[in-house]
Amino acid sequence: MLAGIDYFVVIAYLIGILLLGYYFKRFVDTSEDYFLGGRSLPFWAIGMSIVVSDIGALDFVGVSGQAYRYGISVGNFDWIGSVPAMLLAAFIFIPYFWKGGMYTIPEYLGRRYNKYVRTAASVTWIVFFAVDLGVLFWASAVLLNVLMGWPIWLSIFVTAAVVGLYTYFGGITAVVMTDVVQLIIMFVGGFTLVFLSFYYIGGWDALVEKIYALGPEYARHFDLIQPSTSNTPFPWTGILFGLTFVMANAYMIGNQAIVQRCLTAKNEWHAKASMIFASGLKMLIPLLVLFPGLVAIILFPDLKDGDQALPMMIKKILPPGLIGLMFSAFFAGLMSSVDSMLNSTATLFTKDIYQPFIKKNAEDKHYLLVGKLTTLALLVIGVATAPISSLYPGIYVAIQTFLSFFQGPLFAILLLGIFWKRATQWGGLSGLVIGIAFAFYLNLFSESIFTIEDPFLYVSWWSFVLAFIVTIVVTFFTEPYSAEKLDGLVYKVHKADSK
Amino acid sequence: MLNFDWLAGVSVESAKWFFYGLFILIGLLIIIIPNEYIFEGIEVENRHWWMNLKIWALAVMAVLYYTYYLF
Repeated sequence: MLAGIDYFVVIAYLIGILLLGYYFKRFVDTSEDYFLGGRSLPFWAIGMSIVVSDIGALDFVGVSGQAYRYGISVGNFDWIGSVPAMLLAAFIFIPYFWKGGMYTIPEYLGRRYNKYVRTAASVTWIVFFAVDLGVLFWASAVLLNVLMGWPIWLSIFVTAAVVGLYTYFGGITAVVMTDVVQLIIMFVGGFTLVFLSFYYIGGWDALVEKIYALGPEYARHFDLIQPSTSNTPFPWTGILFGLTFVMANAYMIGNQAIVQRCLTAKNEWHAKASMIFASGLKMLIPLLVLFPGLVAIILFPDLKDGDQALPMMIKKILPPGLIGLMFSAFFAGLMSSVDSMLNSTATLFTKDIYQPFIKKNAEDKHYLLVGKLTTLALLVIGVATAPISSLYPGIYVAIQTFLSFFQGPLFAILLLGIFWKRATQWGGLSGLVIGIAFAFYLNLFSESIFTIEDPFLYVSWWSFVLAFIVTIVVTFFTEPYSAEKLDGLVYKVHKADSK
Repeated sequence: MLNFDWLAGVSVESAKWFFYGLFILIGLLIIIIPNEYIFEGIEVENRHWWMNLKIWALAVMAVLYYTYYLF
């Protein structure tokens, strides 16, 4: 499917990213440089990095497919399912993490509650990222193979080589600065497809008119709010309670890959501004991914699999050269996701596991080396385990579901930890453990408990509610920390309060 | 209860008002954040009106509100 000029575009893009990333090697002397970019990065770079890390090649295809099947309601995930949470993170949580000089979210949980909470949270994220890395490699490579005929192992090796090289040497600074270019490539490629799609179909009004004319089953395709009785995965009750109140906050506040970027900011204002700037960019993402799926309804009304919508649109609409650009956009999505996982997992392992449990009080250079070697080891594990995914077709969805088990309870203890000084270490630990166990139970028996398709939003909400209640109940039976111990960890609690 | 069937009687039009209400509440909370807190990290002599993050956040919320109003 790729023409000569497309190959030129893709190869130029890959070489450019590699050189740019490698350039940032010169700024890495300490572990703080490697994990936090020396706390020197500007808000605009961090904001762009947050957005591009959040959307991968699979999301491009998957969300377009969902727009094909369910309409624009899938846009809720990037609008109400992101923006309010990002503002809450920017104004409340990020400043506390930044001022505390944290490297990881589990580090905050460890200081606020205890080392068990820290270790449980950190191990969960490490396992999730490590397993997801191989799965992501394979699923994305298969996608690129289907879309462009690019050999699977070539995709994996090229991605691993390029990302591995700049992430190993340049740390998070290389990750963030290459993400800036990745976002620009993604936006140029994506918006070109959207613009040409609309040109092809005759504009927005023509699109709406033609879709409504297809029949009553398309009557709600342009409604963001779906009835609570809808059997799609997006009834308004799930969007409001599960997504807006829990999953979005857990993702934007409790996800190491997102928050670590804000901690690289040069000062507190830049840390806050990065998240707000990212929220503005995030508003644009649905435009990139929804519209090709909607236009495909008109051009290819009989697709059995909605995920074929975007590949079909690319083949139909884009001329040679622009296909290479779109292919680069997919690569950008894949690479930005992989580099985030590598650097975040290396940070979690070095700071939350290696430093406290394996070798305390070593020289800084030692931890820098451990971070780099962890990055390399993860990359090798990711590549080596990638083909295992082909043996388990549902593994990608299973891993994303696994994340939803964890997010509700994690957000419950983060919320109580920062806003309620009475919350105790045992309250937090009980809330986390019982909440995760409840999420497993709900998911295991989801078919007999829930009526909607794929009820992960409801699972998140109810596991959050239980974890919240358990934390409060156990807190009242256990001893709280002093205000001195909680200084800088809880909203409006200062040392002076203890005097 | 876990399926929110107790909210089945709420129409989509009424549900929209929950969303609008949430946006307005967030907007009001943004407005009452003290300016000193917003500018923390920037020296007083280097502060400009366009660096007021409340304006950025309110602009994003306004676009979000309008998006849900349209659809």
